[in-house]
Amino acid sequence: MSQRCLNQNKGTRKPLFALSCTVMALALSGCVGVSLSYQRDDIESLLLTQQPARALEILQEREAEFRSKSIYLMDKAILLRMQGELEASNTAFEQAKTVIQKLDAISLLEQGAAVTINDSMRSYLPPPFERALVHCFKAINYLELSQYNGARIEILQLDELLKQKNDIQFPFARYLSGLVFEFNHELDNALIAYRKAYQAYESTGTAIPSVLQYDLLRLTEYLGLNEEQEQYADQFQLDAWPKQQEVNQQARAIALIFNGLIPRKHSIEINAHSPEDGQLHRISTPYFEHRATRVYAARLSSGSYSTQSEILDQLDRHAQAALDDEMPAIIARTIARVSIKNRVVDETRNNSSLLSFALNIAAFITEQADTRAWNTLPQEILLIRLNLPPGSHDIELELSGSSLPGSVKSWHQFNINRGEVKMLSYHWPDSHVTDRRP
Amino acid sequence: MKSRTINSLALIVVLMTATVLTGCSTSVKRMDAGEVTDLSGTWNDTDSRLVSEEMIRDVLGRPWIDHFISEKGDLPAVIVGDVRNLSHEHINVATFIGDIERELINSGGVVFVASKTERGEIREERQDQELNASSKTAKQMGQELGADFMLTGVINTILDTEDKEQVRFYQIDLSLISLADNRKVWVGQKKIKKIIDKSTFRF
Repeated sequence: MSQRCLNQNKGTRKPLFALSCTVMALALSGCVGVSLSYQRDDIESLLLTQQPARALEILQEREAEFRSKSIYLMDKAILLRMQGELEASNTAFEQAKTVIQKLDAISLLEQGAAVTINDSMRSYLPPPFERALVHCFKAINYLELSQYNGARIEILQLDELLKQKNDIQFPFARYLSGLVFEFNHELDNALIAYRKAYQAYESTGTAIPSVLQYDLLRLTEYLGLNEEQEQYADQFQLDAWPKQQEVNQQARAIALIFNGLIPRKHSIEINAHSPEDGQLHRISTPYFEHRATRVYAARLSSGSYSTQSEILDQLDRHAQAALDDEMPAIIARTIARVSIKNRVVDETRNNSSLLSFALNIAAFITEQADTRAWNTLPQEILLIRLNLPPGSHDIELELSGSSLPGSVKSWHQFNINRGEVKMLSYHWPDSHVTDRRP
Repeated sequence: MKSRTINSLALIVVLMTATVLTGCSTSVKRMDAGEVTDLSGTWNDTDSRLVSEEMIRDVLGRPWIDHFISEKGDLPAVIVGDVRNLSHEHINVATFIGDIERELINSGGVVFVASKTERGEIREERQDQELNASSKTAKQMGQELGADFMLTGVINTILDTEDKEQVRFYQIDLSLISLADNRKVWVGQKKIKKIIDKSTFRF
């Protein structure tokens, strides 16, 4: 577990203690039941069977609820890009950015509703890693459209966001930034981004992908940073790597595979019945299910040229870290809400026992955890880099582990010039739940 | 006492309904194109106008046009090259470049040559004319005016953010480069600085 996660756990101890006390008090006063609440979404089912077009239709049939507008737009953007509608996807991402920017300001009305009704009364403000991914996906769309300057602008905005949220380490976002700078032939800026990616991998205790190792060595050598290059060579135990001069002569295809589906949030509910006054009590908090991808490896090939994938980042870890970050505030609001609801029920009992009973039922039913999240995200991101001679190529992507049709994807007559890099991407949501319990 | 409470409640309900109904209706107000409207703090029409005004004033006030005319005896022909957007925003550079182009042409001191993409379309039309137009009216290939100068530029930004406050600094540099010998005959620069204070609360 990363140092950051450890710190987060220390931070959650006090509210957890308070929550435990509340649960204990409820348990002592009557019978307590614990239940898990989850439901399967139509869109999830369609994605698992590789039907993004139908999933988009279902999404658009639903009216975008005001408080979940950001999720609606982010889901729409992903479903559009899964079908190759990259420009429309970027329009939806841009709309999502505008909505998110507005939500940065606090709504007292929504906060008030959150401490009296439930957390879903607040507009969904995506956690920093989801906000960073909006820029990342938009940049990838631009790269696939060969609009490299557009991708560069997104990466600058991403850097600004990560600077503001300096407590999040996001290796994929940093590595992608390096790639975008390389597409724009800014090798010095690319090296800075790769260094930040390296720091992010180190700080999260994740193994450094070999592509990043080679990139760091290639660019430090090319830019004449000999001491730094020797340090990397020692650390990675490498004595050979592609030279920048060789890369300039080759054509490169980079494929990003968005594998699986990010685990869903469900709620754990602690229900209690007090025999003294007959009141019903409920505490509900969100948790993530556990999922596994079906595809365990991918291969990109063209004729006799072929290369294997490696994991660049696991988004489920970022989602879990974001929930851990949010948990102290969720628990604090839950405790405040339970106290307020109980007090209202107690105070009305003297005037009208019927009203008090009705309020208690309403308070019990409305006590639900906020399980909203950007559910069309992948669970993990794989990267494959294929070096080819310049020219036109038939490129094939083969996914190992999935039995669904479409696990072999082809790009015909894909033209890459000397020194040029082309971006490809593919979403493969096929995955399964390994455990629905927290 | 009871009726006063009911009246107050009714008044609140009426006011809230009125507020909601007002919020639901779309309103359009026409305004002067020169009026300053800053909504989000990002690059907007005012910034574009300020840049074009500054650049036009500068480019027409410098001696490069007179030098060229006295040397060549003809008006300089300019082509718009790449204006790179290295900023943090998706900026439409075509608006202020269009303004500069228009003012320079209207000043009568400069001739503009069609850009790369525009030229492609015109060449297609000329090819079509060779086949389909009468020999009297068909325009010949190979008669294009070659540009003397190319207008290139770059837009850069520096952002400094602290909590809800952000300073946005834009710097726009345009250069006019002689195609004959790569000499820069004019360099224009415009700087724009904004402080954006984002609201802490919303409805």
